[in-house]
Amino acid sequence: MEQQTWILTAVIFAPLVGAFLLWLPPYGDDRSVRRSALCFSLVTLGLTVAAVVQFYSASRQLGRGDPAYLLQHYWPWIVSAAGEARIDIAYRVGVDGISIWMLALTALLMPLAIWSSFTAVRTRTREYYSLLLLLQVALAGVFCALDLLLFYVFFEFTLIPLFLLIGVWGGAERRRAANKFFIYTLSGSVLTFAGIVYLAYYSYTDSQYITLNIEELTRMGQTGFISPRVQMWLFLAFAAGFAIKVPLFPVHTWLPLAHTEAPTAGSVILAGVLLKLGTYGFCRISIPMLPDAARQLAPAVAVLAIVGILYAALAAWVQRDVKKLVAYSSVSHLGFCMLGLFSLKVAGVNGAVLYMVNHGLSTGALFLIVGFLYERYHTRDIEAIGGLARPMPWLAFFLVFFTLSSIGLPGLNGFVGEFLVLLGTATSRLTLDGRAAGPLGYGYVIPAAGGIILGAVYMLWMCQRVLFGPLKEPPHTPDTATGLSRDLTGREIGILTPIALACVFIGVYPKPMLDTFKGAVVQHVLRSPAATVHTQDTPGSDRSGLAALLGDETPVAVSAGSTASYRSPAGGEPYE
Amino acid sequence: MNAETLKLCGLIILLGPLVGALLAGALAPVLRGRSHWPAILGVGAAFAGAVQVLRVISGAPVGARHLRVPIYSWIADGAGSWFNVEFLFDPLTSVMLLVVTGISLLVVIYSRDYMRHHDHPERGYERFFAFLALFVFAMCNLVLGGNFLLLYLGWEAVGLCSYLLIGFYYERPAAAAAAKKAFLVNRVGDFGFGLGLLLIYLHFGSLQYDVVFDLVQRGLDAAGQPLGEGLLTAIALLLLCGACGKSAQLPLHVWLPDAMEGPSPVSALIHAATMVTAGVFMIARCGAIFSASPTAMHVVAAVGALTALFAATIALVQTDMKRILAYSTISQLGYMFLGVGVYAADSAVFHLYTHAFFKALLFLGAGSVMHAMGGIIDVRHFGGLRRLLPWTFATFLIGSLALAGFPSLSGFFSKDEIIHHALTAHWLLGGMGLLTALLTAFYTFRMVFLAFFGRERVPEGVHAHESGAWMLLPLVVLSIGAIVAGYVGFEPVSRRFHEFLSPVFAGTFVARNPAHAHGAHAAVASGFWAHYGLMVVSGGLAIVGILAAYLIFVAEPWLAGLARATWPRAHRTLWNKYYVDELYAGGIVGPARTTGRVCVGLDDYLIDGLLWLITAVPQGLAFALRGFQGGAMQSYAVTMVAGAAVIVLAVFWM
Repeated sequence: MEQQTWILTAVIFAPLVGAFLLWLPPYGDDRSVRRSALCFSLVTLGLTVAAVVQFYSASRQLGRGDPAYLLQHYWPWIVSAAGEARIDIAYRVGVDGISIWMLALTALLMPLAIWSSFTAVRTRTREYYSLLLLLQVALAGVFCALDLLLFYVFFEFTLIPLFLLIGVWGGAERRRAANKFFIYTLSGSVLTFAGIVYLAYYSYTDSQYITLNIEELTRMGQTGFISPRVQMWLFLAFAAGFAIKVPLFPVHTWLPLAHTEAPTAGSVILAGVLLKLGTYGFCRISIPMLPDAARQLAPAVAVLAIVGILYAALAAWVQRDVKKLVAYSSVSHLGFCMLGLFSLKVAGVNGAVLYMVNHGLSTGALFLIVGFLYERYHTRDIEAIGGLARPMPWLAFFLVFFTLSSIGLPGLNGFVGEFLVLLGTATSRLTLDGRAAGPLGYGYVIPAAGGIILGAVYMLWMCQRVLFGPLKEPPHTPDTATGLSRDLTGREIGILTPIALACVFIGVYPKPMLDTFKGAVVQHVLRSPAATVHTQDTPGSDRSGLAALLGDETPVAVSAGSTASYRSPAGGEPYE
Repeated sequence: MNAETLKLCGLIILLGPLVGALLAGALAPVLRGRSHWPAILGVGAAFAGAVQVLRVISGAPVGARHLRVPIYSWIADGAGSWFNVEFLFDPLTSVMLLVVTGISLLVVIYSRDYMRHHDHPERGYERFFAFLALFVFAMCNLVLGGNFLLLYLGWEAVGLCSYLLIGFYYERPAAAAAAKKAFLVNRVGDFGFGLGLLLIYLHFGSLQYDVVFDLVQRGLDAAGQPLGEGLLTAIALLLLCGACGKSAQLPLHVWLPDAMEGPSPVSALIHAATMVTAGVFMIARCGAIFSASPTAMHVVAAVGALTALFAATIALVQTDMKRILAYSTISQLGYMFLGVGVYAADSAVFHLYTHAFFKALLFLGAGSVMHAMGGIIDVRHFGGLRRLLPWTFATFLIGSLALAGFPSLSGFFSKDEIIHHALTAHWLLGGMGLLTALLTAFYTFRMVFLAFFGRERVPEGVHAHESGAWMLLPLVVLSIGAIVAGYVGFEPVSRRFHEFLSPVFAGTFVARNPAHAHGAHAAVASGFWAHYGLMVVSGGLAIVGILAAYLIFVAEPWLAGLARATWPRAHRTLWNKYYVDELYAGGIVGPARTTGRVCVGLDDYLIDGLLWLITAVPQGLAFALRGFQGGAMQSYAVTMVAGAAVIVLAVFWM
């Protein structure tokens, strides 16, 4: 580790410091507690912006297509260089073009989630805000971890704060929701842990060298050191944890309950960031380390994703509970994400990663809006409220805006991700981008596109019921006792505006993000072609061929077969 | 052509309305009742830009009237450019831009008075103008875009504006429902459209018009393999699916009549003159793809002819003036589809252009009536308005004559051309076109006679008054257009319109027209009587239709009642629009919602039930084993002894 950079460590642990500082005596009343919590999350946001800037300048120095994770920080944890077995398990953090944006998403959403709780949470505020900050530590840690054990520790640690947030500050059925959420996700990730242990063991049998370094393991997986049979088992083990988190049909049933019962900030973080841990896991671990299994199982995963898209969309349409409707829409949207990932094509994976960010923004905002409604009307029943556009024009504006973003209106963020996902899926079989033919094809796009129709159906149905028609409010509402105004307050508008701006920006000019994704996707997610012939980039050229359009600068003469590049474990020293 | 000038014009055309929309929204607290100014100025700038584009393009040599102007990389991915924001300038773009911005400008001016009552701006005044200007931005984007992705962007954006404007009176449940319906039906069309785009990308590796059309013309895909006709047919039919949604053709026509819940200027601009013609524009633009697939062309022609006739029959019995006009719009769009489908894209665009004038005029006229009648537009509630609203009546009459295809007005020339080409292609298509022409004249004048002739009646409590200058000026301008617009394309006077467009369609619709191939078209086109004979027939049909309407609704009003009593079932079917809405509600929406409920049930009972079973196993096991941990020493001893005995026995028996 030639160079240590502290910035990521600072980003990860700044909220932890904040969580402890909240307990210091001077912060007596609620007011100062919540303000300091907001400050800490804003400091983290500032640090994250610094990290993004550093990331950009570092990657510009290295030039495009460099495989390294940047801003690395290394600290030996379980390391032994002597004796029979060398062990290398470490605190190792770093980011690439994918994780930096997931980190940024987390850092953006957390202050907004905290800010949104100012009026909603009145009890045990100290505990509440420190748990939110702890949650941020865990989430940032997952996205930065470059060691599987570290990844797993952070991954599991997310459960504890969220379990408490749901169980203590949730709705009427909070206990059941918290238990279901905890046990459901924990039981899945136990298998993931088994997979991690086996991977460590496998690396040992292979080279007398135990490592959980994600970069090393990726290299190992991509050069075919893990036999397809073993890959298959490992894939299933990892998938058990990740698929539940995503959530992939049919293991999604924890989500609607957890979402409905969670406090608003919990829902925002749950939908905005936590679900992405699943897709992030697939794209950081399952697909790159187990490429043959991913390829083989991709059709099955895609079928589950598509079933989930349609199934959850139909289920969302018949919900009376607004929050449950948005929760089911998450299941449907994450199906698109999975579809894009398992197209195993640059365009599709790019789209899926962008989709993760987009979904975090628009669904996060939708949960915020539902929360604002709930604070005023104490109900989430669509039948009980209606015609709110007249008394609440700001709310109507934002609800329609994020609805449009969520249903993929071109010009807003959702469309770009959706389009790339479908494009990647449709062109999955083509080999013109220099990669082996992908497992999916045009046939998968047709039912998935049906999900886009349904997406508009339930969202617009909800808008029509809530916003339009004659005014309908439950008796004795809106409740403005807590200092809320009838329409959104300045604070609430301030919470939604940054998200809306981000949505417009990504929709109109997604290039900066797509550029960084691409380097990471090519280097860290998809199997690098067996024999790469690096050709010169011709920037700005208007080539019309598919290779140029798919934006892959590594066209290849011999495409990587699924088993051709498999080397037997006895086949020599994989590590330098 | 000067690329820089065109680029600047394109940017003005797009940004003018966009800035106007933003200012109308942002400055609302300052401008209040003057919120129309940003919209008028923005759209006016766009119109000036469109005129300049026309001048530049018509100033260029005929062979060089095609220019792609890149602006910036939109969805890009490193190496080669992906999808750019780029403009395409050619005669088709230019004509569409003029129609869109010109009609928009008139409509925005008209709305200044329409959207206020007793000189008080209506609630949502600024919202209305912001959305209207936003629509112009979106529509110009659709027309100007140089690739399919921008077309799709504009396509969805105009749909959004349509949604927002149909639902302008959002407190009325009917308006909110109509807005949603419009968006969703269009989504169904876009489903096909989107799949078509992906299929294009899959095979041509690009979404840029120039690249794709060039490959199609050469009959190759991106890999250099020859194209099958099946593929082109598939692409064309998927695109047609989108066109049917946007242009309200069968079977996706159901949203347009409901869209009349929006304010009348919106109906005039979006749901008559511009947005709904996007489908025709798209097919004309994709001439290379469509004309290469005879099957797709047959389908386009059949959809057009059927829709034209179908909608015209429904219009016969409706009583809401705006709905009659809506069905007439569907029917006229059917003519345009028919025109494109029989390889006469220039005639279709010609009809699009004339139709924009007279249909916008009619809707604005209906709006003027509605304004005067205090919001009532059903002809059962008023009549004999010709003296009360003289200007409105005169201009409405001109529009109706043009729509009915009365000789010497614009609609006559363009419609006649389409029927002529349809007859050349197949007698059945032409016959349906002629029958529709007769029906059109009849239902149009039924509406005119019911609203403006007979005994003077106004709804109770309404003080009828003629509209002000802001509303009458656009009506007068459009009436002049409805009279003279056709002469730029009427052969004895001028063929300028068609000659201007000819470079766009020369390599596609014209070159691939089977009628040309057999030399038949040349004979027909040059045969004086073959062409002008048809004019006599279709003009005669229009007059017959008008006279019949006069007979039934003015001279002998009892005939209408007799007809209704004689064929009650037919009347009911037409009155209920062939029950298509009911069919969709019962056949698609209902089952889908039931499926949704089943999905929720599966979640709650099947999946969670299975999980419960899984968790129940260890729980049950624990329950069973709990007995062994009772804490009593004796039972531990007994268990230990029993266990030891079992082991000993097992060892011995092995």
